[in-house]
Amino acid sequence: MADAPSRVERVLNLLALMLDTQIPRTREEFVREIAGYPAQPEANRRAFERDKEILRGMGVPITMETIGDSTEVGYRVRPDDYCLPDLGLSADETAALRVAVSAVSLGDSTGHGALMKLGGVGDQAAAPIASLPIAPSLATLFEAFRHRAVVRFSYRGEARTLEPWGLSSKRGHWYVVGFDRVREAVRAFRADRVEGDVEVGEADSFEVPPDFRADDHIEDRAWLLGDAPAVSVRIAVDAGHAQGALAALGSDARVESGAGADADTIVEVTVTNRPAFRSFVLGFLEHAEILDPPDVRAEMIDWLEAVAAGAP
Amino acid sequence: MSGKPVAGAEIQRILAIVPWIVAHPGASKIEIATRFGISAEQLDDDLALVLMIGVPPYSPGDYLDVDDDGEFVTIRLADQFSRPLRLTPAEGLALLAAGRALLAVPGSDPEGPLATALAKLAEALDLPEFGVEVGEPANLSAIRDAAARGERVEIDYWSAGRDEMTTRRIDPALAFFAMGEWYVSAYCHRADGERMFRIDRIRALRATGEHFEQMAGDDEITEVFRPRADDARVTLELSPTAAWVAEAYPAESTTVRPDGTLEVVLAVSEPAWLERLLVRLGPEARVIGPEDARRAGGDAARRVLTRYNKAVDPGREGSDGQANRRRSLQGSVARPAP
Repeated sequence: MADAPSRVERVLNLLALMLDTQIPRTREEFVREIAGYPAQPEANRRAFERDKEILRGMGVPITMETIGDSTEVGYRVRPDDYCLPDLGLSADETAALRVAVSAVSLGDSTGHGALMKLGGVGDQAAAPIASLPIAPSLATLFEAFRHRAVVRFSYRGEARTLEPWGLSSKRGHWYVVGFDRVREAVRAFRADRVEGDVEVGEADSFEVPPDFRADDHIEDRAWLLGDAPAVSVRIAVDAGHAQGALAALGSDARVESGAGADADTIVEVTVTNRPAFRSFVLGFLEHAEILDPPDVRAEMIDWLEAVAAGAP
Repeated sequence: MSGKPVAGAEIQRILAIVPWIVAHPGASKIEIATRFGISAEQLDDDLALVLMIGVPPYSPGDYLDVDDDGEFVTIRLADQFSRPLRLTPAEGLALLAAGRALLAVPGSDPEGPLATALAKLAEALDLPEFGVEVGEPANLSAIRDAAARGERVEIDYWSAGRDEMTTRRIDPALAFFAMGEWYVSAYCHRADGERMFRIDRIRALRATGEHFEQMAGDDEITEVFRPRADDARVTLELSPTAAWVAEAYPAESTTVRPDGTLEVVLAVSEPAWLERLLVRLGPEARVIGPEDARRAGGDAARRVLTRYNKAVDPGREGSDGQANRRRSLQGSVARPAP
């Protein structure tokens, strides 16, 4: 053992002692006992702090406590807090989790790290089936949801204070849904549009209504994301595009006609955001048309004429 | 004491491997390396390191004991590391999210081992429930079945970029959900090459009775849109309210001007795509170049207007009288005489 211990070896020995000790130990004790810390006090203090941060960064619950009646602080890791409880997973269940982590891409290797703790990742890569990237804020929001802690974050340049009541993924986006304390209403937020850090308050700060379902409050149809009075708009869609249009419009759109192979499909749609609905209809170019009410149709024609007359 | 800048990954791996070996005395080293995705050499290095872990007073019985005969290995005296480190919140979320997403894929067994595994995780770790929805376009299961069985199919496909309906024979390889839509990568006999199809744009699907030889696919979800070198590059001026365009589409360059407007260069592989974008953005966007793209938005708007002018056609007047109000309001639009 002539070689100086590696950083990895030193950190593992630090963790072993933190887990082993019954009483909190001071930094001085740790650096004296464990091989590899520099002799000079300032240098060993910095090295110890860095090692501690490495362990905390991977989720090791290091507690800082005063020792006995003194004012000295010491550190330790309580084995019960450190250990993963026995999940009682069968071999089939572990294999199913491996397939899920391998087939669903969340944009980073966090799931891989979790599998290692559950007994390895295996060598059978499953064919990819879905990509649902997780925004960095999502784990924090999930943890706040789990502990019923109020969160504060910035969203579209505005400060929000939210009771996170639920989490959901729809159409490839992750949402946090809850009670917005400033607006005093239930609101959904796309996790990938949360700006900067999420500030988490005290646990157990609210109750989630028992019948609450996050999905009910997530609306991804832009023409329903508006505060304008609801208006019923009828559109005609070419036969070849009707299937796609109906899928996008959702099951609450009312189909009036369109059984024929070549006939237009006429659909009535509730709209609370007219510009967004105009944009949706224009996605079909000349294969769709707003029929009525007249003012909505007129708005569309005005828009098109402005575009037609715009810069050549 | 230089150490590598990131020792975390190595430490986490050792903290995962040790409890597993403790729980499986005499485990095969080949199995361990396979299970944890490392080489035999890496495992030897890790085991050599494990021998150096101990607690005061560091007498021989205070170190972890590794019994390695080259083929099988046992670890003893590892009380502190007999269990893996608990999952972090992000890890718990990742397992649940991946599991819920896979369960949401049509055809998954809602009561199979994955479902029971997630229930056990949630129970043991006190994780709350959440939903994942991935949708189910009409032809998804037919495409997935065809891919699984190696069956060639014929599809009627609406190509949004060219705004045209085509019929093609394809050999579907891999169906996957990305950016909120289901796609299938396939060999297209019409294009004589690999193509990506959005499954909700498959308007009809027919069996051909032919089979194709399945290739071992690459295990990456292919990029849904990858600009080609010979795609036209179009430069747009966007108002600040249309800044989302630069994020939503693969902009090749984005310049924010002092007045807040943006100049973006987009790869445009299909003309209808640009038309759609311009006609939707209206005054929020202006084509700077090239010259032949500057008319795209206006041309598309005139074409759509033709459809609205058709409404004054007497043939449709009866069923759709209100739509004609436009005629009196706006006399300037060229239209066929009623």
